[in-house]
Amino acid sequence: MKRRTFLQRATLAAFATGPFIRAAEPAKLRTVLIGSGWWGKNILKEAMASGRCKVVGLADVDANVLEVAGDQVEDLSGDKPKLYRDYRELLAKEKPDIAIIATPDHWHALNTIEALKAGAHVFVEKPTGHTVNESRAMLRAAHESGRVVQVGLHRRIGPHHVSGMKFLKSGAVGDVGMVRLFAHSAGGGPEKPTPNEAVPDGMDWDFWCGPAPLRPFSKKLHPGGWRNTLDFANGTLGDWGVHWLDQVLWWSGEKYPRRIFCTGGRPISGPPVLTEKEQTSDAPDHQVATYEFEKFTCVWEHRKFGGNDTEKHKIGSYYYGTKGVLHIGWRDGWTFYPSTKGGKIEHEDSQLQEPDGHNIKLLWADFLEAIDKRHAPVAGIELAHRSSVLPLLGMISWRTGRSIAWDAEKEQITGDAEANALLARPYRGPWVYPV
Amino acid sequence: MRHFCVALLYSAMFPMLAVADDWPQFRGPSRNGVSAEKGWRSEWKGEAPVAWKAQVGLGFSSIVVSGGRAVTAGHADGKDTVFCFDAATGKELWKHSYAAELGDKFFEGGTTGTTTFDGERLFWLSRWGDLMCLDASSGKVVWEKNIAKETGAPGPMWGFTGAPLVVGNLLVLNVGEAGVGVDKKDGRVVWKSAPKDAGYSTPLPFEFGGAKFALFGNGTNYLAVDPVTGKEAWRFRWVTQYGVNAADPIVSGDRVFISTGYSKGGTLLQLGADEPKQLWKTKVLRTQLNAAVLHEGYLYGVDGDTTEKGALKCIEFATGAEKWSQPGFGNGGVIVADGKLISLSGDGELFIAPASPEGFKPSAHAKVLGPKCWTAPVLANGLVYCRNSRGEITVINLHPQ
Repeated sequence: MKRRTFLQRATLAAFATGPFIRAAEPAKLRTVLIGSGWWGKNILKEAMASGRCKVVGLADVDANVLEVAGDQVEDLSGDKPKLYRDYRELLAKEKPDIAIIATPDHWHALNTIEALKAGAHVFVEKPTGHTVNESRAMLRAAHESGRVVQVGLHRRIGPHHVSGMKFLKSGAVGDVGMVRLFAHSAGGGPEKPTPNEAVPDGMDWDFWCGPAPLRPFSKKLHPGGWRNTLDFANGTLGDWGVHWLDQVLWWSGEKYPRRIFCTGGRPISGPPVLTEKEQTSDAPDHQVATYEFEKFTCVWEHRKFGGNDTEKHKIGSYYYGTKGVLHIGWRDGWTFYPSTKGGKIEHEDSQLQEPDGHNIKLLWADFLEAIDKRHAPVAGIELAHRSSVLPLLGMISWRTGRSIAWDAEKEQITGDAEANALLARPYRGPWVYPV
Repeated sequence: MRHFCVALLYSAMFPMLAVADDWPQFRGPSRNGVSAEKGWRSEWKGEAPVAWKAQVGLGFSSIVVSGGRAVTAGHADGKDTVFCFDAATGKELWKHSYAAELGDKFFEGGTTGTTTFDGERLFWLSRWGDLMCLDASSGKVVWEKNIAKETGAPGPMWGFTGAPLVVGNLLVLNVGEAGVGVDKKDGRVVWKSAPKDAGYSTPLPFEFGGAKFALFGNGTNYLAVDPVTGKEAWRFRWVTQYGVNAADPIVSGDRVFISTGYSKGGTLLQLGADEPKQLWKTKVLRTQLNAAVLHEGYLYGVDGDTTEKGALKCIEFATGAEKWSQPGFGNGGVIVADGKLISLSGDGELFIAPASPEGFKPSAHAKVLGPKCWTAPVLANGLVYCRNSRGEITVINLHPQ
């Protein structure tokens, strides 16, 4: 008998014995983490805190990161996870019920597909893929496996987002014809190149780069800095934009934009540098992306400079309606500014987990419930795929320098072979682009 | 003669202390957070008596006091500046600036290292590897170089932080995998180690078995080297998240206490003929930034990371057992003088309390600064020097009335 089938029967048997006899504790879900750095551990902490997961394995290509994570898991839960450099070995040996994937974006697809093939339910960080067709391959693998895939779009369940959406859908903002999404910060300036370094002891740098081009090691990239290097991620639009674009799909019920145009660059950071000696990031320091939907226009804007109080809010979304403007933000919660003079400003505070300001606890609980009840989770792969495609299409428009028309049915850019080629990218061997 | 004059000046300005003492280097005259100073006031009514205030720019650099001068550093407008003040009055005597990055990676940035006095010389290692010898009376540069560029050592994620340690004719620096030794008269590199990540602690001198060592953390270990030759004596693997082996170790006889943050915790090692032996481990005291202080068999220090609110704690050195905890203290620092704790909370509340395992019972306290106070207070000649991240310095006068 397969272990999973046995567990299901065991659970049924426990119920069958009736409410007056204490059922045996259900077996804990064997949980692994692939990519054991800061954010991965934030998710894993919620898995441990749920009391329903046993951490059986951790994977990371950096031996120091892995050692630290192993210690911390033992401190927090008493579990002694086995430590792996190679996620494939981890999945083959541990046969987990759940795999959490918190690697850099360029690894999400290969990690997720392998985990689903190994029979695990998957909690993967946003955005789903680094290119559109990776995301599509993840969606297909999820369908074929029948497993639950939750994507780390915690703003789908964050309390002030839920209540803000309720307010918006109630009609209190009136008819909304335009949405503006944004993330701005102050300061900025020319980016000084960081010297390349010898690969640190214990780091498998070739594996870290994986399917992406191999570049010299730099602290600019690891830990954390890869978000602004386009071989591994998609800059601020990919990292932050996906959360807010996802909210727009949630609010509107529309599934895709028809046309996208994105412009931006590095006038402040300066041209990207990549030499044998040093490197900078290469993501735009500002970008504006326009998404033309059927019933409204959505504009994304980010700037890594010139953020100050001339803009009331620095991060989030403005929904422009006939009755006023709703801002749904991050730590500043949501606020409605009515059009009528003297109208009442309405506001709700955020309720976030600090210090990092998220709602992973709620998202994890929803994930477990989806596994238990076999229903779609709140940020399932289906909708997260559609949301993740939006920043990726924005990046294609930015790269080609022209607007693109999106045929969501065929998942093709209409009449633009050059842009279509950017829906995927060549992989560095031996890694094979997933289909 | 100069010291005599300074002493006369002090006695004219303030009633005499039973025992006065300078604080010429990071963690004080004995590099352990303890001052021999006695007779200073441990009580006051209402607001703490302020001797002087100053502004030095962004950063966490500690203050050093020697020969009537108080020196620290800060960052503003693309420059680091080393400031020298009259230690008693706060009058600015000189300053020395050079171009430097803010370095605001996951914090507000600014200077993090501390200067070291050596008589009439002052040594400074910046986050970015600028190593300089300044004339303590004028601030003029005697010599300078970039030690990271010269040795090829990469800067750890938040840059170099350990202060230079003076050992005879050499400076020992926490740069590279196992330190660098340079000639203090001209900066010539005498010995160096592999170009790998340093940690953030300041080399700690100690003697064991008739030999001298410098002990510090690198990216993945705490290790002891011969300060004269750089020859490594031993290393103890100690991997802290992001390589933040920052707090100085504490040595007592053949025992070495190590503690770091990010939930890593502490351990007591026993030195012997071979590798150090681990006696116990604890999660009770996890010193992310400032090391604890050992006093009569008990450690006093801040447990927890800056992302939570740290607790001031007392633990037994021999066993690691927690004696008391003062939650909500924040990530400030503590020193010991005359059997008392002088502690500055993360939000800038200064407390004086007996150093006792029985509990934390302050005899005086006062808000002296706003947050963030990640820099331990300093006691020298009856004055307590406090700073915050914004570079506000407040000096409290604890001379006997």
